[in-house]
Amino acid sequence: MSRLEQWDAALLESLQASPGETMSLEEMASTTGISRPLLEALAREGLLVPRTPGRFDPTDVAAVKAGLALVEGGLPLGELLELARRVSEAMRPVAAEAVDLFARFVRDAVEAKASSPEETADGLVRAFRAMLPAAGQLVSSHFATLLLAEARRRLVAADPSR
Amino acid sequence: MRIHTFEVPGPLPLLDHDPEIVWISPGHALAGFGVAARIEPGTGPDRFNRAEQAFTGWLGGQQLVDDFPGGGPIAVGSFTFDAFSSGSTLVVPRVTLGRRGDCWWVTTVDGADYHPLLHPAGTSDRPTDRPRYAGSSMPDVLWLDAVAAALAEIEAGRLDKVVLARDYAVWSRVPFDRRRLLRRLSERFPECFTFLVEGLVGASPELLVRKHGMAIESVVLAGSSRRSPDPAEDEQLGKALLASEKDHREHEPAADSVRRVLADACSRLESNQEPELVTLANVMHLATRFSGRLAGHYSALELVKRLHPTAAVGGQPTDTALDLIKALEGMDRGRYAGPVGWTDRRGDGEWAIALRCAELSGARARLFAGAGLVAGSLPEDELEETRVKLLAMQEALGG
Repeated sequence: MSRLEQWDAALLESLQASPGETMSLEEMASTTGISRPLLEALAREGLLVPRTPGRFDPTDVAAVKAGLALVEGGLPLGELLELARRVSEAMRPVAAEAVDLFARFVRDAVEAKASSPEETADGLVRAFRAMLPAAGQLVSSHFATLLLAEARRRLVAADPSR
Repeated sequence: MRIHTFEVPGPLPLLDHDPEIVWISPGHALAGFGVAARIEPGTGPDRFNRAEQAFTGWLGGQQLVDDFPGGGPIAVGSFTFDAFSSGSTLVVPRVTLGRRGDCWWVTTVDGADYHPLLHPAGTSDRPTDRPRYAGSSMPDVLWLDAVAAALAEIEAGRLDKVVLARDYAVWSRVPFDRRRLLRRLSERFPECFTFLVEGLVGASPELLVRKHGMAIESVVLAGSSRRSPDPAEDEQLGKALLASEKDHREHEPAADSVRRVLADACSRLESNQEPELVTLANVMHLATRFSGRLAGHYSALELVKRLHPTAAVGGQPTDTALDLIKALEGMDRGRYAGPVGWTDRRGDGEWAIALRCAELSGARARLFAGAGLVAGSLPEDELEETRVKLLAMQEALGG
């Protein structure tokens, strides 16, 4: 994007939660009971990303809790962090490409169909709000499928009669 | 009883016959079979002196025959990190095979049969398994909090440095093969001290003290960096380590604590002014090397007693660090981070700090790794450092 169009500004605004909806690590620690040092470490590692400096989205709590459920299940934190670092590194270019796809195929097409800047802005925000959870769902269910397939492959390799 | 030491043509197959005691350093190698004397000095800061007195006392009742200049019986031991943990031991093997430089020798107690030990044995084809995770004394997610709590004490100015360790238990479907582990360790880390004493196996880079006559040496390693397979990046990592303020903050208290103790016992003491780089197979360290001349007749074990625990395994100030370790680590270190080495009847010897090691017991093992914390350390980096150290040991234990 070379410059911010009026409708992009509307999209940007809708991406940024209002300050009342974000929380500090301190607040996150006290409402969830998750240790402050762990949250700080996750933030330094780039696994918890602030929406604005020092303020985090409450929905991130769910992700941290999911990580802790894996730790409670028996995965050592150190190994999990190492995997998370690698996933984060591997996903970054994929995320960039996905945003690029959105810009080329959704944003440009919405703009082409709209009759006013307001309509473009509205269409973009609606498309984004529908597509973000869909993208999350897609990635998570695909990963779950890959996990199952890999587990099955190993079990079958151990006992080909099955 | 008669203790006989004599020279034999080498090389001897030190590890082939599954010795219970092993010490391999760049200058010395020992392999011990059977137990002629096992000394349990109990607990307390005086356990080192009691062990030495018991060894000297035991030797007093023996008839010593030395046909090897400077030879004679050797006791190999390992001591607990915490003065009040039990498990410190000194062992005199019934048969010891040894190498000093290019000379090979044998010591036998009471005419023990040593002949079969001089001949190589075929390689074992024992079944192997891999190390399997069994858990830790403290889950690492809580260890991260312990590190943060220790760093808060450092930030508050209550201490400069503390070393926190964690353990990692593994098991295997077949007993671990200590011989193979020792071979791997001594091949991969030829500049380290590879040891086996009563199930404690490891390869330590850290020389606590070496004493020969009136000459002593010690090497302090603290502050470390990973290595890179890419030579250019590896060189950069080395330069970065030499320039790293945080690593110097970690190194200096360790070097100072050793300098203070040795200066007190020596008439002359030298060391490099600035830490130098020591490069091992998987990691590099900042190192300060000391060499000196003793001002009086201190035995190696007396020096060990005065040096232990250095800030490389405890912290600075020592007592505050030890209290914090006790409060936060949630485990007994046992002999991990304690002195391991050998002593002879003249009080000469070579003692390292038992790092990079595992307690082996049949098909179970307990691995250890620690990290030095100073102002500026980050809990997740220390967790990662210990994870990498634990991986290296698991790799060495692997099938």
